[in-house]
Amino acid sequence: MILLESHNVIIQTTVAEKLAKPSALDVQFVDYDGVRFHLSTPNSKTVLLLSMHIRCWDELVRYGALDVLKREYGPWLSEQVEPEYNVSLEIDLAQAPQEGEDRDRFIKSLSLLKRHALAAPFERAFIAQRSLEDGASSDHGELMQIHYRDEEAIYIQASADRVTVFFSTIFREETDRIFGKVFLQEFVDARRLPALQNAPQVLYSNRDPPLELRQVRGLKDSEDVGYVTFVLFPRHFTNPDVAYSTISHIQLFRDYLHYHIKCSKAYMHSRMRHRVSEFQKVLNRAKTEVATTERKTVSGRTLVSR
Amino acid sequence: MSNVLRPYLAAVRSTLTAALTLENFSSQVVERHNKPEIEAGGSKEVLLNPLTISRNENERVLIEPSVNSIRLSIKIKQADEIERILCHKFTRFMMQRAESFIVLRRKPIPGYDISFLITNFHAETMLKHKIVDFIIQFMEDVDKEISEMKLSLNARARTVAESYLSTCAVTNFHTLANADAY
Amino acid sequence: MSLLAPIISDNGTGFSKVGFAGNSDPSFVFPTAIATRGPASQPSRSGPPVPSKPGNLASKRGVEDLDFFIGDEALANAKTPGYSVHYPIRHGMIDNWDHMERYWEQTIFKYLRAEPEDHHFLLTEPPLNPPENREQTAEIFFESFNIKGLYIAVQAVLALAASWSSNKVTDRTLTGTVIDSGDGVTHVIPCAEGYVIGSAIKHIPIAGRDITQFVLNLMRERGEMANVPPEDQLRVAGKVKENYSYVCQDIVKEFRKYDSDPYNMFQRFTGEHSVTGRTYKIDVGYERFLAPEIFFNPEIASSDFLTPLPEIVDGVIQASPIDVRRGLYKNIVLSGGSTMFTHFGQRLKRDLKQMVDRRIENSEHLSGSMMRSTGVEVDVISHKRQRYAVWFGGSLLASLPEFYSYCHTKAQYEEIGPSICRRYQIFGSVN
Repeated sequence: MILLESHNVIIQTTVAEKLAKPSALDVQFVDYDGVRFHLSTPNSKTVLLLSMHIRCWDELVRYGALDVLKREYGPWLSEQVEPEYNVSLEIDLAQAPQEGEDRDRFIKSLSLLKRHALAAPFERAFIAQRSLEDGASSDHGELMQIHYRDEEAIYIQASADRVTVFFSTIFREETDRIFGKVFLQEFVDARRLPALQNAPQVLYSNRDPPLELRQVRGLKDSEDVGYVTFVLFPRHFTNPDVAYSTISHIQLFRDYLHYHIKCSKAYMHSRMRHRVSEFQKVLNRAKTEVATTERKTVSGRTLVSR
Repeated sequence: MSNVLRPYLAAVRSTLTAALTLENFSSQVVERHNKPEIEAGGSKEVLLNPLTISRNENERVLIEPSVNSIRLSIKIKQADEIERILCHKFTRFMMQRAESFIVLRRKPIPGYDISFLITNFHAETMLKHKIVDFIIQFMEDVDKEISEMKLSLNARARTVAESYLSTCAVTNFHTLANADAY
Repeated sequence: MSLLAPIISDNGTGFSKVGFAGNSDPSFVFPTAIATRGPASQPSRSGPPVPSKPGNLASKRGVEDLDFFIGDEALANAKTPGYSVHYPIRHGMIDNWDHMERYWEQTIFKYLRAEPEDHHFLLTEPPLNPPENREQTAEIFFESFNIKGLYIAVQAVLALAASWSSNKVTDRTLTGTVIDSGDGVTHVIPCAEGYVIGSAIKHIPIAGRDITQFVLNLMRERGEMANVPPEDQLRVAGKVKENYSYVCQDIVKEFRKYDSDPYNMFQRFTGEHSVTGRTYKIDVGYERFLAPEIFFNPEIASSDFLTPLPEIVDGVIQASPIDVRRGLYKNIVLSGGSTMFTHFGQRLKRDLKQMVDRRIENSEHLSGSMMRSTGVEVDVISHKRQRYAVWFGGSLLASLPEFYSYCHTKAQYEEIGPSICRRYQIFGSVN
């Protein structure tokens, strides 16, 4: 598995199971970036309540998350939000589509709840870019800030010819920081490949925030902080399908990076295990072979040397 | 093996072989104890002159002989911070398993990356020249392993970056085709 | 972020149970299997499948170690050319660390979708797990995954904690005998105050797999399996075992009941051919009560293991220190899928009680009837969460607010090193 998927497997499997056989349910689980889900059947066995808590909800609402969710889920979106959560979907299993492709699509869309919520600022930026391009007054749109983790944030800004997405990243551990640097450097360099000419341009800077972010307050100044910039050109989002996949991928950038840092460490571990066992073999050659011939007395008893 | 490396390893090999003249020696300080004198350091007269073999400022071996034990510490080449962290990870991984490496010390001497402690008992139960072989082999392989790990890390990073970006590039291709069709 | 639920991962020989603390069921239960690109497809490679030799073209790509499947997907891909399935856990202990590390990697990132840096983890280990294994586990979790905190619990102790959910249990004690019967092997494990009494543990080579095989043999003998396709027979036997079996109180009476009223006692099972879709019907008869009976009368199925389960349990408790025996008799806890048969607990309790009472009577008699015993209380606890008892116990403990103080944190790990995992604080203990 190289790429991460954007849907939540627990929602997918659980909802599919409940559609086949409704029963009481009450589970809590998570998704990347501290998103919490609660899937329950509070009133009746056929009405599922799916609630989500997301750290940057207020910011997302400001950037139009509710509209996106309304568009995606329509009537399912519940008026009553479960306490401690930000948004709730009420799914009446009786009204779910019949078995087949429709149902699969329905389940899939439920499992994309987090993706859709986070997609709002991106969609807004894409729209803003279009209006700027048509010759609106200013040449820069609003700098949208999404503090999706405690210490990290996404910044999105639309300009006349592009949309720029900034990630602030932080590495808590020395190894991660160095591995992360190697990875990010490759992201920057990868575009030189002819096949990837069309890919969004990636920039990386350690410690110093990019120009556009200089005026943002509360940026951390330390060696662990880095900034990754994605420059998206209209070709990355004019076609709705492309825009969809661009958003899905960009959202998961941080998780993707960290997933691969961890995988590399796991790979290093297996390399080291292999190498250590090789060294062990070399050292074992040094051990003198103890003569194992059994010595016996006349009466047949064995002598044991201490 | 590169030509520069060979004399270095040859020097370590002959020094180590010469230093591995160990005898059973009871502690002069505590009765009925037998300690590796190089570690205990209780009696100065049984310690011999330590010796450093340097290949360059980043790679050197320190051999500290004594009457019944020798300590050998290696500083492994670390060109940049990636190699530094990989080297640190690798030596720690190995020292974590020091139990099975009989002659490996659980902690390196300050200023070095990894240390070995060979006592007269080791020299009695194991073939001396094979222990030397092991040390030399280790020195040879550890450099190779670390640079390989670095290479593979870079290769991984490239593949990872490419596959991430190519998802966008591929769909783009699609768009272009679509645009033509329109 | 500290609000995120701890992750409970119970990796067993056959199945892994993973999920989040606070839930009553694991989110995922799948086989502990990993399908990797076997070395067969790349003959130029030597050594273990992961670390490739330098100069190999495949290693230039650098990510071939990400090409693998776990769980059900692993089994589904078993027949894909180039892949081979491995089981990284043998007899409850981790056998292949390379595979296990990758198995965890995908469990966390693909299935749980959790950023391990934000979570505490509770892992389980079998009794008598060597401390080196714990150290290696800690090394993987702290160094590869950077997790926040780790607690490794003994499975038997978690099973005891799971029994707290039963309404029969009034005091939350960690003293008791655990009968853990999974697919491969059955263990009887005495625990005192959260510590396993290692010297008294007994293993029984009868478990789920043997029962299924026994059911299959019985049905074959009766000729029921004649219209079941051969490749489905084992699965059908498993279904019969799971859905129709129960423990009877008296075999002879039960046989008579079946013979006098076969129509009511025999059950009908309808299956479907997995390839052609043709349905078949079979009658389920004596195997309904004979299947679990092999715990109590092993001689009906095997010839080399003949000691009934109640006798083993009695022996285990008798081998434990005398001052905990009352506690062990009083709190016998069932865990694992093969203890799910109806009335299993009652039967075990009855047989055990008889044994204990007989011993007391005997000793009273030997004392010349001068002394009277107050009797020994024997109780077997069945509860609803029995199937995933270990996981559930973990979920219960990890949702306690004090769980975090029992974990070893990343900072502590970095300070002390993997040896920190040689010691874990028992739940409920002071300091």
